[in-house]
Amino acid sequence: MANIFPRWSNLLPLKIAVCIGSAVAGVALAFNYYATPKSLTVGYQPSQPIPFSHKIHVDQLGLDCRYCHSFVDVSGHSNVPTSNTCWNCHQHVQRDSPKLAPLHRSMDPAFPGYDGKPIEWVRIHKSPDYVYFNHSAHVNRGISCQSCHGDVNKMEVVYQDQSHSMGWCLECHRAPEKHLRPLEEVYNFDYNAETYISNNPQLGVKTTKDLGLKLKEQFDVKPKESCATCHH
Amino acid sequence: MSKRIWHHPEVPASETTTAWRSPGQLENSPMFRDWLDREFPNGTAEMSGPEEAENTRRSFLKLMGASSALAGFGMAACRRPETYIVPYTKAPEWVIPGKATYYASSMPRSGGATPLVITTFEGRPTHLAPNSLHPDASGTDAFAQASILDLYAPNRSRQFLKSGKTSKRADFQAALAALATNSAAKIAFLSGDDDSPTRNRLQRALAAKFPAAKFYQYEALTGEAVKALGDGVKIAADFSKADRIVSLDCDFAGTDPQGPVTPFFDRRKPEGKAYEKAPDASSMNRLYVVEAAYSLTGGMADHRLRSAPSRILHIAGQIARELGIPQAGGVDKVTDAKTLSWIKPLVADLKAHKGKSMVLAGSRQPAAVHHLALAINLALGNIGEGKPLLALQTEATGKGTLADLKKDIDSGAVDTLVITTPANPIYDAPVDLDFPATLAKLKTSIHLGERTDATAHAATWHVPGAHYLESWTDTRSARGTYTVVQPMILPLYPDCVSEIELLLALLSADGKLLNGEGPNAAPSPAFKAVRETFTALGSAGDAAWKKLLRDGFHAESTYPLANPSLSASAEADIAAANILAGKASDPTPKALEVVFATDASIYDGRWIDNAWLQEAPDPISKITWDNAALIAPKTAKELGIYDIIVSPEPVTKVLGVESKYADVGPDGEANHRKHPVISVTLNGRSIEIPVMISFGQAENTIIIPLGYGQGTDKDDQLGRSPSNTSHVGLVGINRGVNAYPLRDTSTSYFATGASIAITGKRYPIAVTQEHSAMYGRALAREVSTIDSHDDKGGFKQQLANVKKQGNDSHAPPNVYLYKPEDRKGEALINDPLHQWGMSIDLSSCMGCNACLVACQSENNIPIVGKEQVARGREMHWIRMDRYFATQKDNDFDADNPALVPQPVACVHCESAPCEVVCPVNATVHTEDGLNAMAYNRCIGTRYCANNCPYKARRFNFFDYNKRNPLITNNLYHGPLGKKAVGDPDHLQKNPNVTVRMRGVMEKCTYCVQRLKDSVIRQKRGQKQEALVAGKPSTEMQVSTSTLRIPVDSVKTACQDACPANAITFGNLLDAEKSALGRSKNIDRNYDLLNYIGTRPRTSYLARVKNPNPEMPDAKFVGKATIHMV
Repeated sequence: MANIFPRWSNLLPLKIAVCIGSAVAGVALAFNYYATPKSLTVGYQPSQPIPFSHKIHVDQLGLDCRYCHSFVDVSGHSNVPTSNTCWNCHQHVQRDSPKLAPLHRSMDPAFPGYDGKPIEWVRIHKSPDYVYFNHSAHVNRGISCQSCHGDVNKMEVVYQDQSHSMGWCLECHRAPEKHLRPLEEVYNFDYNAETYISNNPQLGVKTTKDLGLKLKEQFDVKPKESCATCHH
Repeated sequence: MSKRIWHHPEVPASETTTAWRSPGQLENSPMFRDWLDREFPNGTAEMSGPEEAENTRRSFLKLMGASSALAGFGMAACRRPETYIVPYTKAPEWVIPGKATYYASSMPRSGGATPLVITTFEGRPTHLAPNSLHPDASGTDAFAQASILDLYAPNRSRQFLKSGKTSKRADFQAALAALATNSAAKIAFLSGDDDSPTRNRLQRALAAKFPAAKFYQYEALTGEAVKALGDGVKIAADFSKADRIVSLDCDFAGTDPQGPVTPFFDRRKPEGKAYEKAPDASSMNRLYVVEAAYSLTGGMADHRLRSAPSRILHIAGQIARELGIPQAGGVDKVTDAKTLSWIKPLVADLKAHKGKSMVLAGSRQPAAVHHLALAINLALGNIGEGKPLLALQTEATGKGTLADLKKDIDSGAVDTLVITTPANPIYDAPVDLDFPATLAKLKTSIHLGERTDATAHAATWHVPGAHYLESWTDTRSARGTYTVVQPMILPLYPDCVSEIELLLALLSADGKLLNGEGPNAAPSPAFKAVRETFTALGSAGDAAWKKLLRDGFHAESTYPLANPSLSASAEADIAAANILAGKASDPTPKALEVVFATDASIYDGRWIDNAWLQEAPDPISKITWDNAALIAPKTAKELGIYDIIVSPEPVTKVLGVESKYADVGPDGEANHRKHPVISVTLNGRSIEIPVMISFGQAENTIIIPLGYGQGTDKDDQLGRSPSNTSHVGLVGINRGVNAYPLRDTSTSYFATGASIAITGKRYPIAVTQEHSAMYGRALAREVSTIDSHDDKGGFKQQLANVKKQGNDSHAPPNVYLYKPEDRKGEALINDPLHQWGMSIDLSSCMGCNACLVACQSENNIPIVGKEQVARGREMHWIRMDRYFATQKDNDFDADNPALVPQPVACVHCESAPCEVVCPVNATVHTEDGLNAMAYNRCIGTRYCANNCPYKARRFNFFDYNKRNPLITNNLYHGPLGKKAVGDPDHLQKNPNVTVRMRGVMEKCTYCVQRLKDSVIRQKRGQKQEALVAGKPSTEMQVSTSTLRIPVDSVKTACQDACPANAITFGNLLDAEKSALGRSKNIDRNYDLLNYIGTRPRTSYLARVKNPNPEMPDAKFVGKATIHMV
């Protein structure tokens, strides 16, 4: 009987297996890289039209978050400052810095390229259209900016610090005590729970966990996990 | 295996009520069974579309596959595109990004403005709600709710036209300047019937500037009331003071408002308007209605008499005669014994309620009826301060009519006309005025309007009009309260001009037209004009002005009271009308009476391009997108056309032989449901129009709603040749039939002597009366305040038995299928702060569609177009069911069934059948008792809709939001279809509600976005309390009262819009403190389909009728409990 299969075909199954295997692995890697929320966004650090440094403004100068993000505690949306908010100070301070050219274009009629148009900041944190996250619901109940946005006060250029995936949201909704703070400390980026406990012995708590649980009980915090909490 | 259907128990033999939704059901047609048996009817779920073969499901999938593969090659979709946050340059005052800002304004309209609170997001108006602070607050109707869509209408007029052709602003400016500088101009102004103090002031100034100026007002559907009452006098009703109301063809709750109507409905609830007292029948009002066909008001009537409109005169005369009013002598006596037996106890009831009753004549009735109504009201002492009726002196005096205008044009006294009326005289003026020819005689005519309608094309100049949400003006509400109209947004298109701005340009020395924002953000000149008017009313100063802008009204300025008396012409008018009515004897099948009805969807035709109104089913006939001639079943039988009307078009052909019914209806059978077309001939003029059966209509009348047929193109299904195509947009094209050509000055409302003939043509009409038909016993329940000596007993007993009607009388206690707690034993619906619930009071619901349109506006519900509606794919979250019911033994008038409306939306069952069948947990329960839909999880199996006993779920068969369904076959072109993204109507969308896509199920959410907003707002209270107490937050214990929203502080969109206070919503945990809690505890409260154990959160309150025991039909009233089996 003649050899139907030539000799080289002995390795064919192996070759096929390797090809399929690498294709599958490629798809898996691609999926992991492109489609999972974590790899999509964490660390995203676009450059902005004005290289605004939170480190200088918050850490060195001590500006409160709410000077610029003024409606964070009343609105669902945390607003980005309008040009005139920047201009309040920068018409006096560092007025001639070339970095502020976009602000001048927007605010300063004496500036050569003045057009009065708003500054287009690049969006860093984006939840999908079907998610309704509300800032005021969180900052008024003891969840700090820091919990979701990281140490913004140390950032020269802002990047995304946490994944903001639904699983990540639910982690905290199931155990808010890990993140709860006294309301006075919500906007304090230097807050340290241990220091707070030692400075406030009258609270009668010893560990940071106890503090979280005490606040949860006292604030009556019962985060919801049902769909309509964020999707409507 | 066939689907297993649970059969409801037989209706007991003692049941005397027969109920139905449609002629098809009354005849038990196979088609109706199909609608009833399935969650979606045959063919709804099929991808059978237009005729083209390439649009089959398979090729659609191929296309989808190919396009997604192509998308995959680039991987472009995987990386997030860079997006930008663009804050304001200078922050506008009061605007908080992400939060709604509310402004008080109003919608000017004839009969009195509708005061509104307008929701805007970052300066973009999205939703309208009534201004409940206003003294004339009366909810909103569907027109007011839908008017916001006109602002964003894609076909809105945005360019100047000269003789129907696009022109330039500069050219119009030159013409206007020439006019403004010629003070000898023979100029005339034709305005609408709405009253505007600023316009009146400017008109006085115009009369001074142009000594030859003349002023007219015109709207298509106004009557002759003014002849009876005197120049500029109107009657406004205060329903809170009326114990007995007689409506002589007056649809005061619907299209013919006579004053704020909410107090009327408050008195339809025996427990008081917020359910605050024990049921008391004597606190209810009683409504008698005489009308030709069911109106919304007629549906509320305790006693309803069918009568052709021409016979109303005799009935009014008879009532007057029995009251001993001398003018009644001029009217022929009513000889019909039944009618007499109906009138006698009515008159006795009126006599017993002198000063606490009212007789309202329909505004479109001739002057004689208004004379008689006035005489009756004067005799009963019903008019005056503190009485149910107020006679008010408006400022609209000395205005000519359209007929006067024609005379003046013909005589040459007028050669220039400025048309600012919202009506469309070229299209809707009576034919004998021949207005097109009259207009052509003018040297110059200037038309200002938001649509490029017939008049816009016929006039020398058309000026694009600004919407009322874009303009400064003022107006007066029903009883004359000064009400401001303030702009929410600059005109969307820079050339749009408001009426005040146009008049101001004519008043200025150089005729310069200034509109919208001026240079350096200067406000429109209309702003200054309105402020001057307001100052002249005696309210100078910034504080008063700011209060006006905040509240929206100035309560101190109202119409003065008038002192009406019977006019000198009364006897002559009555005699003339009597001769006219006497000539035409009672209508017969050979000489029918045609009634030119005001349309509940598009009024006089002005809303023809409003997609929400077109798609909202007519409250009575349930027609969408079209009009049809309506005829009573008995008349149709006598004419021999009944069978042709109720049987559908034969659809299947076997070897060329047509079978009678499409027994399977394989592909969109609904699309083949074609109604026969008849020709109606009247005085030598005739039209062809499809015909439908209408229940409760007077015999030998034919009702034709006006306003349709304004433009056709090549796709017209009646085969008319394209004409006036540019007069309407995609919404209004090919819609219905124009009945105005039948109408002349003497027959503006009704005409006798019409004949009809079957043409043999058929026309598809999208009627929703059989859509989502529910099974079940005692769906809507009705009781009567009197004991009619049968097994139902007196009022108390009937109330006590409401919960035991239908199956609930003998069904065993419910066993709930699902455990209400989780594995750890914790309750699943466990929110201790809020548990939402709703009750719908059928006693005050009239079925007007205001809620349905408000819901559409609030929740981004798309329209789907006529073809999709015909397939049962309409998306309205609220389904306005409308039932007819009659008593088997009704020997007074068996053809006058009761009309029972019942709005049904998702009832948020605690043990919801939909939730357990969802394979992906896309519909789940929340802790606060909502049945939530997670759209982004839904994969579109439609199992949930299949399992919903209330048929409350709606499925996006297509991407209705993204692809314009009004372009022919556009939906079926899949990804190749024309996208609607970027159309101006997308600006109306509520940013807090997801815009759903294709393949997703949706339904009522109880406006969850409003609930979340109010709950989150309440959370800020924790910080406030700590600040007030001056303590650190760690020392404060947060309590329930901190986090629970105040009682009755959140309203759903439907509840807010309702003019009848029929919807009550709130937190069940507030119990008796809230109106909702009280409504849940009264006897009338029952659950829809209680016996299947779904535990719905929305409950219904039984309808109460308050009949007069002396009336001959009293024992048939209040028994319309609806069984659908």
